[in-house]
Amino acid sequence: MEEAVEMVTPGEVLGKATDLKAGKGAYAASHNNTIYASLTGFRRIQAPPPASHDKRPTVEVTGHKAHGLVPEPGSVVIARVTKVMARTASADIMCVGPKSVREKFTGIIRQQDVRATEIDKVDMHLSFRPGDIVRAVVLSLGDARAYYLSTAKNELGVVSAESSAGATMVPISWTEMQCPLTGQIELRKVAKVVN
Amino acid sequence: MENKQSSSPASFVDSTVVPGDVVLDLSSMTNQTIKLGGGLRQDCDAISAMKAGTLRFSKPNKYWIESSQKRYVPCVEDTILGIVVDSKADNFLIDIKGPAMGFLPVLAFEGGTRRNIPKFEVGTLLYLRVVKANFGMNPELSCTDASGKAAEFGPLKDGYMFETSTGLSRKLLSSPTCPVLEALGKKLSFEIAVGLNGRVWVNAASPDTIVVVANAIMNSESLSGAQQIIMLYDLMDSLVVVLLRETKK
Repeated sequence: MEEAVEMVTPGEVLGKATDLKAGKGAYAASHNNTIYASLTGFRRIQAPPPASHDKRPTVEVTGHKAHGLVPEPGSVVIARVTKVMARTASADIMCVGPKSVREKFTGIIRQQDVRATEIDKVDMHLSFRPGDIVRAVVLSLGDARAYYLSTAKNELGVVSAESSAGATMVPISWTEMQCPLTGQIELRKVAKVVN
Repeated sequence: MENKQSSSPASFVDSTVVPGDVVLDLSSMTNQTIKLGGGLRQDCDAISAMKAGTLRFSKPNKYWIESSQKRYVPCVEDTILGIVVDSKADNFLIDIKGPAMGFLPVLAFEGGTRRNIPKFEVGTLLYLRVVKANFGMNPELSCTDASGKAAEFGPLKDGYMFETSTGLSRKLLSSPTCPVLEALGKKLSFEIAVGLNGRVWVNAASPDTIVVVANAIMNSESLSGAQQIIMLYDLMDSLVVVLLRETKK
């Protein structure tokens, strides 16, 4: 892998499309077959994988400081529920994978994405409450306001929640959590803890 | 100096409590299940009051705090009077004198389908039932009873609506019938709908009757049963005078 520490800015020409393939942070303009940078960063050229037919190396621009993570479809995120409504719950995405994000992303969990079975009988209030920490998977980039998240798997759902008495609750089953102070059981869509 | 510290649970029942009072001590009570109603909160072994009001107890095991406010806190299965504020694609937004707007789904009517969605103007008064009332969410309302029948729910036409406290609404709906309504019903004929959120609607053939009924109900809040009857006779005497004057014209 050839590494060049050349700093480029958006709009700079990186090469010709006949010689190079546009990777991350670069794009090919169709009208004159040139590759331009779309980010500020260092220009790197990666050799083509030996198995592919295309023999062009890939040029990519990687950030000069570590960019914050951005949720991608398919990534597992940790989010805190902010609002629970009749058919949706809003959540603030805090971590993507193991790393925390630098800026706030909003996610929405729709009623049909809460669990895999009996999706029309889901009661949002019995699955999430404001303040719960949930593990979810990003379904898609969603609309302008929020990512679409899903908790429809055993290991997804509420990871940590506080009871109305203020104590962190202990999960009992995939639908119930119990407060250690008062013994009250509250209903949530609980994530299965896999050891 | 004697320290009268009789903190047995029965001592607080039917007396006034303020927020922060520890009204029940679970460690001193034997193994029993208690149901806590509105206004009470559990902190490990102590049950403390969150509202100012009277602590009530009903057999076998229900405790709750009764108080009268102008603001209504939505509760499931309450019947209330709401005013339409806006209509969206799936719901009507209804003002119910509570902390948040109520949502009335457009299909929550008897025989309601996408084809015959009722059109309510802004300001329509509706008699509704609370279906879901969770903390932090907008309450969900309905114009049918639990089995799906219309059962008197829906828009109220004509008449006069006035606001009262929640305590007075509960008194008007108590059984046996409260003295005001019983005495009014003996002399006058009128229609009345009471919302537990502090709104009352009255309709009658003549405006004089409506005014007398409304004034009687509004005056009766702080009066005892006997005082209510006296107040009523005074009101109705003046109504008789007015009617006689009208007929002489």
